[in-house]
Amino acid sequence: MALLSVREATKRFGGLLANEAISFDVEEGELLAVIGPNGAGKTTLFNVISGAYPPTSGSIHFDGRDITGASPHGVAHAGLVRTYQLVQLFKNLTVAENVEIGSHRVTRGGVFSALFRPHWMQQQEKSVSVGARELLRFVGLEAQADDPADTLPYGRQRLLEVARALAARPRLLLLDEPAAGLNTQETEALAEVISRIHLGGTTVILIEHDMSLVMKIAQRIVVLDFGKKIAEGAPDEIKSHPDVIAAYLGGTEILDA
Amino acid sequence: MPSLVEFLQSIVNGIGLGLIYGLVGIGFCVIYNASGIVNFAQGVFVMLGGMVCQVLLAELGLPIWLAIMVTIPLVALSGMVMEFAIVRPMMHRGATLFAIILATLAAQIMIERITLITFGDRPRTFSEFTSGGPFKIGGVAIGYQLFWILGCGALLVFLLWLFFTRTRVGRALRACSQNSEAAQLLGVPVSQMMLVAFALSAALGAIAGILVTPTQYTAYNVGTPFGVNGFIAAIIGGFGRAGGALAGGLLLGVLQALAIVALGAGFKNVAALSALLVVLLLFPNGLFAGFGSAARSQ
Amino acid sequence: MTSHAITSTEPTSVGWRSALPIAAVAVVAAYGLMSSDYVVTVLGFAFIYAIFCTGLNFFMGYTGQASFGQSAFAAIGGYGSAILCTDYGWEPLLALIATMAISGVVAAVVGYPTLRLRGHYLAMATFALGLIAYEITIEWTSLTQGYMGYAGIPPLGLGGFELATLKQQFIAIVVMALIGVGVASRLRQSRFGRALASIAGSELAARALGVDIARYKLVAFVIAALYASAAGSLFAHFVGFISPEIYGTSMVIQSFAMLYLGGIGTTWGPMLGAVIVSVLPEALRGLKEMQDIAYTAILIFILIFAPRGLAGLTVLFRRARRPALGKA
Repeated sequence: MALLSVREATKRFGGLLANEAISFDVEEGELLAVIGPNGAGKTTLFNVISGAYPPTSGSIHFDGRDITGASPHGVAHAGLVRTYQLVQLFKNLTVAENVEIGSHRVTRGGVFSALFRPHWMQQQEKSVSVGARELLRFVGLEAQADDPADTLPYGRQRLLEVARALAARPRLLLLDEPAAGLNTQETEALAEVISRIHLGGTTVILIEHDMSLVMKIAQRIVVLDFGKKIAEGAPDEIKSHPDVIAAYLGGTEILDA
Repeated sequence: MPSLVEFLQSIVNGIGLGLIYGLVGIGFCVIYNASGIVNFAQGVFVMLGGMVCQVLLAELGLPIWLAIMVTIPLVALSGMVMEFAIVRPMMHRGATLFAIILATLAAQIMIERITLITFGDRPRTFSEFTSGGPFKIGGVAIGYQLFWILGCGALLVFLLWLFFTRTRVGRALRACSQNSEAAQLLGVPVSQMMLVAFALSAALGAIAGILVTPTQYTAYNVGTPFGVNGFIAAIIGGFGRAGGALAGGLLLGVLQALAIVALGAGFKNVAALSALLVVLLLFPNGLFAGFGSAARSQ
Repeated sequence: MTSHAITSTEPTSVGWRSALPIAAVAVVAAYGLMSSDYVVTVLGFAFIYAIFCTGLNFFMGYTGQASFGQSAFAAIGGYGSAILCTDYGWEPLLALIATMAISGVVAAVVGYPTLRLRGHYLAMATFALGLIAYEITIEWTSLTQGYMGYAGIPPLGLGGFELATLKQQFIAIVVMALIGVGVASRLRQSRFGRALASIAGSELAARALGVDIARYKLVAFVIAALYASAAGSLFAHFVGFISPEIYGTSMVIQSFAMLYLGGIGTTWGPMLGAVIVSVLPEALRGLKEMQDIAYTAILIFILIFAPRGLAGLTVLFRRARRPALGKA
C-alpha cells in the first residue's frame, strides 16, 4: 500500500480553483518531485497535504490513516514533516537548538518531567543533544552548531532547515522549493544531502523549480499546470511528454537538463 | 422597570456619547491605516483636549472659542511629538509590534502622571458652549451641548470625508493605508504622512474631549475608558474603516446607556470591557463585515 | 575558532553561569539585611516583582506572545490571600497556593478563547482583562472593600510559625524568587521550553514539527498567571494592606520596564530588571508621584534604544569575540 495517497484533492479559493481533482500515490522509500510553472498550484497542494488548510473536496491518506483536514501539528505528529518555501528558522536560537526543537515529535515529556528531571528525561535530553550534533554533521553544519541561526548564510540556513526536519525522523519529508535562492554550488550541496536522505530510507516529496536538480535526483515526477495534474512518470518520460513541453513553452522555464 | 421616558432619555444620551466614541474610533483608524499601529495612547488625547481647554478657560480666562482654537493645535502637537519621538525611532529600528504598542501605552501613562502632578487629581469641567436648556420634548431632556456634539460631529465627519477624498494629503494618506511601499514609489512621503496621521488623530481626540467635557468632567485618568470604548467602536466597525468606527461608536454608546439603565452605573466599565472581549472573540472583522471576507486579524 | 568551545558540555557551563547571579542575589540580600527596614521594604518589593516578571517572561520572552493584563492574576492572588487569611483565618501559605490554583484555572478558562487572537487584538484583549480585574476590585466593595483597600493581612507564615519581622519575610521572598527563577530555567531547558521557543521563533515551523501551538501557548499563559498570583499574594502579606491601585496599570508598566530593562527572554534578566527598576527611583530620591514617570521613561528609552535589555549586553559581549557580525 502507498505511504501517501492523494485522491481527487480539490482546493478552491473563492472563484479560483487552485487544485483540481489531483490524485497520485507515493510509495514508501520513493523520491517524488512535483513540478509545474509558477502558479500551477504546487504550494497549495503541499498546504492541503500538510494540513495548513483542508481541501474543498477529496481525501488524503497517510500510512493507511485518513488525514484529510487534520491540524498541521497532527499531520506532523503522524510523521509527515514539511519545510517552507521561505526559510522559517528560529532565528534567535543557536543552530544546534534549532535542530533539538526538531526532535519534538519523537520525544516526550511536559512541565513535570522538565521540572523533576527523572532518569529517562535526562537520557532523552542527552540523546536529543547528541542526535542534533549528528544531524548537523550529516548536513555539514557541525562547525556552526553554537552560532545563532540568523548568522548563517542563506544556503546554510536551508541545510539547517532540512536538518531540523530530519530531527523529527519523518516518514515522509515534504520539501517546498528547497533550492530557491541558492547558487549552483549550494544547490549541488543540497542535492547531495537530499539524495543521502533518500538513500537512508526516508520518503521524500520535492517541489522544485530547478529542473536540473529535479531531473538528477527524482525517481518519479508529477507535473501540475493550472491546478491540474497533466503528467506523471519517470524523468525521461516527463522530458518528452508533449503536454509538459507545451506547458513549459508557454512559460519562461526550460526543460533542458 | 424603566419608563419609556427613561428609555428614550438614555438613547439620547447614548447617541451623544456614542458620537464621541466614534470620533475616538476614527482616530484609531487614521493612525492604523497610515502605519499599521494601534496607538494605545489614543484616549489620552481626549483627556488632554478637555483638560487643556478647561485650564485655558478657568485659569487664563480665555473665551471659549479662543480656548478651543488653542487647545486643538496643542494636542495635535502632542500627537506629533509622540510619533516623532517614540513611534518613528522604533519603526526605524525594526521594533516588534508588541514593543511599539507597549511604548504607546507607556506614553499614555507618562502623560497621565505628568497631568496629575501638574493639575492635581480634582475632576474639572466647564460650562456648556451655550447657556440655557435643556430642551424638552415630552419628558425627554436634551441638553444644548448634545446639539453641539451632534452638529460638530456631523460637520467633522463631512470634513474628514472631504479631506480623504478631495485633498492631495488626504488621498496620499489613503494610499499609504492601501500599500505603503507602493505609496512610497509613487512619491508619497510616508514618514511625513505618519506625522499627519498622528496630528489628525490627536486633533480628533481633542475635539472629542472638548465636546464631551461639559456633559461630564475630565480628570487625569479619563483617557483609558475613552480609549477602550473608541477601540471597541473601531473594532465593531471592522478596524480601519472610519465610517464603520462612527457607526460602531453610536451603537456602543446607545447600548451602554441602556445597560446603565438596566444594570446600574457601577459595573458599566466592566460591561464595556466584557463587550470588547466578546466582539474581539466572536467578530474579529467587525459586526458589519460581510460574511465573504475570510481574513482574520492581521 | 577553537574546538573546546564546542566540546564543553552543557551542565558545567550552566553551573558557573548560574552561580554568579545567585552570588549576586546573596550579596544584595545580605546588604538588605544589614540595612534599615526601609531598604528591606524596597528590596522586598523588588524580589516580589522579580517573581511577577519571571512569570511574564514565560509568556512574552520564551513564547513570544503578549499579555498586558497579568496584573489581573496578581489581583486574584492578592485579594484571594487577603480575604482567605483575614476573614477566614487561613494559613497564609495555604492561601497562597489556593489562590495560585484559582488563578491558574481562571487563566486556562480565559486564555483558551483569548489566545487565538494575534497582534493588536491579543494585546488589547489582555489589556482589557487587566482593566476588568481592576474595575472589579473597585466596584465589588462587599468583597474587596473598594478604594478603601484591605488592611490587617497577616504576614507570611507556615504551620503556626509566623515570620514576624520584616527581614524574616524578606528572606522568604528572596528564596521564593530564586526558586521561581530556578523553575523557569529548568522548564526553559527542556522539551517543553524548546516548544515554547519554537512558537516565539516561527509558528509555521513549530507546527510543521508537530508542536501543538494553542496548547503550549495556553500552558505558558497559565504558568505566567501562577507566578503573577504568587507575587500578588506575597505583596499582600509583605505589606499587610492592598488596594486596587496596587494591581492597576502602573503594575503592568512597571513590570514591562523591568522585563525589558533586564532582558526579555533571558533567565536572570527579569530579576535583574526588577531590582534595578525598584532601586533606581529610591536612589534618585524622587517623589512618589514621579516614580511612574521614571518607569515609563525608562521603558520607552529601553524599547527604542536597547530592546534586548541589559542581559542582551552579555550576548553582544560573547559575540564580540567572533568576526564582526553586522546586526545584533
